[in-house]
Amino acid sequence: MDRLKKGEVNMAVTFKDGVILGADSRTTTGAYIANRVTDKLTQVHDTIWCCRSGSAADTQAVADIVKYQLELFAMMNGKPPTTQTAGAIFQEICYSNKDRLSAGLIIAGWDERHGGQVYSIPLGGSLHKQPYSIGGSGSTYIYGYCDANWREGMEEAEAVSFVKEALKEAIKWDGSSGGVIRMVVLTAKGADRHLYLPDTDYKVRHQ
Amino acid sequence: MTSIGTGYDLANSIFSPDGRNFQVEYAVKAVENGGTSIGIRCKDGVVLAVEKIVTSKLLKPGANKRIATVDRHLGVVYSGMIPDGRHFIDRARDEARSWRDTFKTPISTADLASRMGGYMQAYTLYQSVRPFGITAIVGGFDSTEEAPVDGEVGSGPACGAGGKVAGKTHGGPFLYMIEPSGLYWGYYGAATGKGRQAAKAELEKLDLGGPGGPTLTLEQAVKEAARIIYVAHDDSKDKEFELEMTWISGADGPTKGCIGRERLSVGEKALDEDEDEEEGKEEKMEE
Amino acid sequence: MDHRPQAWGRPRDDVYGAYDASYLQSGGPKTATQSPIVTGTSVIAIKFKDGVVMAADNLASYGSLARFTDVKRLRPFLSTSVVGFGGDVSDMQFLTRHLNELAIDEAYEHESSPTSSSEDDPNAPPAGQLNAANLHKYLSKLMYRRRNDFDPLWNQILVAGFDSASAPFLASVDLRGTTFTSPSLATGFGAMLAQPIMRRYAATEADAARLTREEAVKVVKECMKVLFYRDARSLDRYSIAVVTKDGVELSEDEQLERQSWAFAERIKGYGTQTV
Repeated sequence: MDRLKKGEVNMAVTFKDGVILGADSRTTTGAYIANRVTDKLTQVHDTIWCCRSGSAADTQAVADIVKYQLELFAMMNGKPPTTQTAGAIFQEICYSNKDRLSAGLIIAGWDERHGGQVYSIPLGGSLHKQPYSIGGSGSTYIYGYCDANWREGMEEAEAVSFVKEALKEAIKWDGSSGGVIRMVVLTAKGADRHLYLPDTDYKVRHQ
Repeated sequence: MTSIGTGYDLANSIFSPDGRNFQVEYAVKAVENGGTSIGIRCKDGVVLAVEKIVTSKLLKPGANKRIATVDRHLGVVYSGMIPDGRHFIDRARDEARSWRDTFKTPISTADLASRMGGYMQAYTLYQSVRPFGITAIVGGFDSTEEAPVDGEVGSGPACGAGGKVAGKTHGGPFLYMIEPSGLYWGYYGAATGKGRQAAKAELEKLDLGGPGGPTLTLEQAVKEAARIIYVAHDDSKDKEFELEMTWISGADGPTKGCIGRERLSVGEKALDEDEDEEEGKEEKMEE
Repeated sequence: MDHRPQAWGRPRDDVYGAYDASYLQSGGPKTATQSPIVTGTSVIAIKFKDGVVMAADNLASYGSLARFTDVKRLRPFLSTSVVGFGGDVSDMQFLTRHLNELAIDEAYEHESSPTSSSEDDPNAPPAGQLNAANLHKYLSKLMYRRRNDFDPLWNQILVAGFDSASAPFLASVDLRGTTFTSPSLATGFGAMLAQPIMRRYAATEADAARLTREEAVKVVKECMKVLFYRDARSLDRYSIAVVTKDGVELSEDEQLERQSWAFAERIKGYGTQTV
């Protein structure tokens, strides 16, 4: 069935001051590009974001529920939720509805206690803590690149460049990935968006 | 007290003209008749202790524990009506469990105190119920380490997560006391029950709330708690009692962050051999 | 014009013909049965005279993709037993949390009972505390219940520890609730590749009771090596646990040692070729 499928490549990496999320912008229905400027990086709390891949409808619904739950958590407890809290709620939804959902999620967040963290929730609804995570169908093309080039505790500029180069490879080799590169940098300073366009060869930061 | 109720003390949901809920005040009376319980929050942990009045020689020594485990890192002791306390503990365990089910991490001591305070307050509002005849002391050690999601697999970068706010500490020992009205505060040292006045006087002599935090160590606090229960028992010397106590430290301390891992229950006969008993405790802490 | 709510948003019958409702059914009955997605491979274990040794590698595969290489599949329970999980990782996490809650419940039960049986026998296990045999029985009921709900937990599980008679205990339960016990056990590929090797050392309970801890650990490590050679869903990093009366020793970052590959030098062509 040709439902809207999305998120053909996305990733999140920890670095010295926090965590960076990155994604392409292609949404496809079969071979047709239904949206070429999709924003797959979704905010669920101030400095907790997620990368969505799989069914657009499913991942949006899940993200909306978690966003609501985290807002409620912050109000009820008078303190912001941690990335762990977000991961736990995401997982419960993905696990208990595993036979109905087609959602692959990467949760990345910064909080003052734990710094930048990355959690991955693949199809079955398991929860994996990782130094960095890649997801979506296009990620299979960059396992080698990421494993060879990843370093712990990179500077922000290095980490941005690592994410960008990895996504460029995925976009190059995967037909289901393409369009612009979006990133969000999460640190003590908050969330900072980046945008890179293909017509400038992803060289210029537009946002 | 006999004449001041004048009809306004017959039900929970009725205020007296001067703004008092007599049922709640009577519940406090029930607490004041119960064996003394105390809690001490010290530098590296929390101690809970209770003077368990032995009502019959036919009861097995050491049985019928009064200090209860609520979660790995949380313990409760109370003075007052024991069945009410048992129900309080059941509820506290349910709250701790439901927090774990939802957030997949242990509930913090403050959050448990808040929920139980709310629960007890609800029993002051309705005709159909009476307030709890207990004052409960909730002690816990919230992990100072990074808190993982229960059951998570994998790990972050070996160099540790970047971007943590430096110099901030998290978690630590916490102590709360909840009264029949539902009122609760965080305390450095708490005492309730029959000998509370004497116990409070002793607690105030300890260095628990200095500007740099308490200097009293867990080991000292365990000894002090035992001593204070004996001091508080002075008023009712005719009754036999058991001293029951437990303590909790952080993951790097003697209890490894778990309550009830080390506990002590000594009979009344230990009263005269105070010195020996102190030594026995020291040994226990080192295991 | 059909104004019934059932017809809202549907193509008009008078224009497009009657709607073929069969498109709405994807066909077949509703199924809750899932299939595993992120999976762990074999778990192996062998009894010895003072306890049990268990091992499992640290890989969680995503089909043939070696996706997560730091997944620890051995979990201690109450520091007296070890549970090893093969199969679906999300169900493993569900069970881990369930066992965690069970362990907390144990602490409740424990304190209300009078001081343990240790008064009579200092070596007896704490009164009322779940031992490995109890835990295995509990897990088998849980797994069987879930298979009867047609919603199985997709795991093969080994439980190691001690039984009520304080003898070493080892048993397995799978996604159908089938249970086995034996001096050595293995799940998945291990049942085919490791079990025959382990049986050479502990074919019977009597053999296992003669095995030393060192021998048992050596056999298990040797089996992990064979599994790494021949199981395409395995990894050379693994966890190993030794359960004795003193508790559980768990090492979660072992590396396979002394592998044998150098003979590849002598292999030339596939028959007659010699260069």
